[in-house]
Amino acid sequence: MTRRALIGTGAVVLGAGGLLVAGEATGRLDDVAGAVGIDPKPQPDPGDTRILSRAASATAALKATVAATATAHPSLRLAPVTAAVDEQLAALGGATAPAGTTAPGEQDAAVAALVQALDTARMDRARDAVAAGSPALVRVLASMSAGHAQSVRVVRGLR
Amino acid sequence: MTPGEALQAWLALEHEAVWMYPVVGARVDSLVKIARTSFSAHRDTRDALVGRLRSRGTSPVAAALGYDVGPLTSDAEARAAAQSLEARISSAILTLAGVAEGDLRAYAVTALRTSALAEQTWGATQKAFPGLP
Repeated sequence: MTRRALIGTGAVVLGAGGLLVAGEATGRLDDVAGAVGIDPKPQPDPGDTRILSRAASATAALKATVAATATAHPSLRLAPVTAAVDEQLAALGGATAPAGTTAPGEQDAAVAALVQALDTARMDRARDAVAAGSPALVRVLASMSAGHAQSVRVVRGLR
Repeated sequence: MTPGEALQAWLALEHEAVWMYPVVGARVDSLVKIARTSFSAHRDTRDALVGRLRSRGTSPVAAALGYDVGPLTSDAEARAAAQSLEARISSAILTLAGVAEGDLRAYAVTALRTSALAEQTWGATQKAFPGLP
């Protein structure tokens, strides 16, 4: 399968909790498609490819924020949030996180900043889900947004 | 699946929730308050879905006389049943989001957030992708 024979709009959902979303921008479509044996579909909507790429970059930045917060405040129980964001980023095909991400030194401020980052991600992915064209991509982004909402609740509970 | 069929599948689960939460509240004292809140939320959602379906010229699916939700005699049993139902609702809403467009999709995306939080309210662990298998 070539990269032009993309899966739907560049989004693939695998069962049993495993989930992969890969786009043309990730350059991993061939591997993904070959691994899961999906049927080739027409090339994806360029708009969906942009949405996917943007979501991956934003999730990488979110992962960096979570990691910085966990490093600065190891007493915070952020493992579930870290695991969720890791899984979400992997599903999007990965992206490079920005360097030098830091968290506020004061714990309450760090928690508030993380809540803000997660809530922004929630709203952005919801907006992306409404704008996306592929049903598979819509579902992944909508689900991610709901996952971020759960993360917001978890982190708020740490205050 | 069409958007109408997805709405009906979701409504069927809302009927189940409207039936189940009063049973939870009646049988498990420690869950009366949360069951009452959940009942109210699902009743409102049920009514909203009925309205949406009627506005599409479709007859809404009717509620069953009863549902097989287990004995619901302990806090743990009730929470497990509620988590299961809320997770099935999340899945149904996500299906709708995938087949709907425009305002209906936006409605589904917002509702999915609500159902994902409801899963947590009943004790479910955090998920990266609520509604997905």
